[in-house]
Amino acid sequence: MLQEINLSAISSSFRDPSGFVFQHAGVIYRQVNDCAAETFEKFTEGGLYQALVEKGYLVRHEDVTDSEVPRGSACHRLLRPVAVPYISYPYEWCFSQLKDAALLTLRIQAVAIKYGFSLKDASAYNVQFLDGKPIFIDTLSFECYVEGEPWVAYRQFCQHFLAPLALSSLVDPRLGRLSMTHIDGIPLDLACRLLPFKSRLSVGLQTHIHLHAKFQSSYADMAGESSSRPRRTKNSRGRISKSGLHAILESLATTVNRLKRSSGITEWANYYSETNYTDNSTKAKHDLVKKFLAIPGQEFNTIHDLGANSGEFSRIAAPLAKLVVSQDIDPVAVESNYQLLKEKGSPRNVLPLLQDLTAPAPGIGWANTERDSFVQRGRSDLVLALALIHHLCIGNNVPLVSVSQLLAALGKWLIIEFVPKSDSQVVRMLSTRKDVFPDYTREGFETSFENDFVLNRVERVEGSERLLYIMKRRGGD
Amino acid sequence: MKLLLLSLSALFPVSAFAYLDPGTGSIILQGLIAGLAAAAVVMKTYWYKIKSFFVKSDSKSLLDDDTDSEAGPKS
Repeated sequence: MLQEINLSAISSSFRDPSGFVFQHAGVIYRQVNDCAAETFEKFTEGGLYQALVEKGYLVRHEDVTDSEVPRGSACHRLLRPVAVPYISYPYEWCFSQLKDAALLTLRIQAVAIKYGFSLKDASAYNVQFLDGKPIFIDTLSFECYVEGEPWVAYRQFCQHFLAPLALSSLVDPRLGRLSMTHIDGIPLDLACRLLPFKSRLSVGLQTHIHLHAKFQSSYADMAGESSSRPRRTKNSRGRISKSGLHAILESLATTVNRLKRSSGITEWANYYSETNYTDNSTKAKHDLVKKFLAIPGQEFNTIHDLGANSGEFSRIAAPLAKLVVSQDIDPVAVESNYQLLKEKGSPRNVLPLLQDLTAPAPGIGWANTERDSFVQRGRSDLVLALALIHHLCIGNNVPLVSVSQLLAALGKWLIIEFVPKSDSQVVRMLSTRKDVFPDYTREGFETSFENDFVLNRVERVEGSERLLYIMKRRGGD
Repeated sequence: MKLLLLSLSALFPVSAFAYLDPGTGSIILQGLIAGLAAAAVVMKTYWYKIKSFFVKSDSKSLLDDDTDSEAGPKS
């Protein structure tokens, strides 16, 4: 279908026969196939689409069927959805982001049932973050609800949302990264093995995870036998009533809502109160970053703030960009960042994400292309790398030239802080290990970065020995 | 045990038309818990009614949000 006209299909859009997503001239389109025509027309004309859009649950689209945009065969409608500027994945979200995405999915299903529809999948990848809030992006995830039928996406919801939330809450927030190795969610039997005994004392977790895993294993053994039986009709006994289905959603929502984020204190949680920056030098650094960001005639679509901690500098950059992707290795810092985003008056164009730069999110799924890697998604206009270089070079032995190459691949402009060996943070890092970093000097730093960048300006951060640079990638745009 | 599992699977529906495999065990479990969960919701509603007689309490469902209304589908 796609190959006929050589459209650039989005690599994750291949499972659902109802349609697919593709890119043309830099714009994202969604094709609705003929086979889904009847359901899609009911979805839009029956009011569900409008209800979900008005609530801010579902991404709005424009019908461009009558346009000249090329499309695949068997095209019923062509839609141009509102663009999501940066695609993020569940393993890059903090606990509360995943929890908000879970509640959104359940709310959408509750509204859908009211309108005679049901979500046919409950993949966490169908949720993205736009203006600080989760939003559902898969317009074709709805099928007609048949009274008496169960929720076909119940298993997927438990695997994609409930299991990782329970593991993050009751075991360790770092287990959120487990979703990276399990693209269709955490297998429930694995979740059962990892969860502590107290999870069995929660009626919701006992039912939706422990008992669910038991049922999966029991009926997996009987799959062959049950498939040979005649399937029940909708009028036979054992129907799941609409109120029963709604009650299952209530139970899932209560279970999700009762899970609280882990209060674990991590290395970075108190970073700003424990650094050697005085109040004066923090203010000086704020002012300097602001000054460097004000590049005349330069407008930023996307800024990447790497090692953002709880997003202090992302918020300084936010008024100058359409989006600041604010990334850090520490789940507790990302959680704080997300909570700050909900505060009144806080800029909404900050996207807090978990990212370990020493092993960033890889390309996963089918052919390693279903979910793009961090570097594939990471192209931006400007990269902020404040108080980061020493962690990469001294903490992780990455050569300065390699850091320069990565940052040049990510952004056209770079604002970077060089933290010298005389800085108390670096002194502490080197106190327990041999100094094998003879090139880690101001001269070594500048020489390495001049391979990829033109150094525009450098200033010392007042009250510290650190240097702040702004540089532009060589070779134009 | 096997007989019990087989009889449960005869009671509850297995959708043949989902594009993702919903999982037989997941479907049977929903059939089992739907009644119990519905009873729990009814009990919760009555509990809130009794409670609100004495103290002001909020019985709003987690499935509603601030912008939710009673608006339903066009009939």
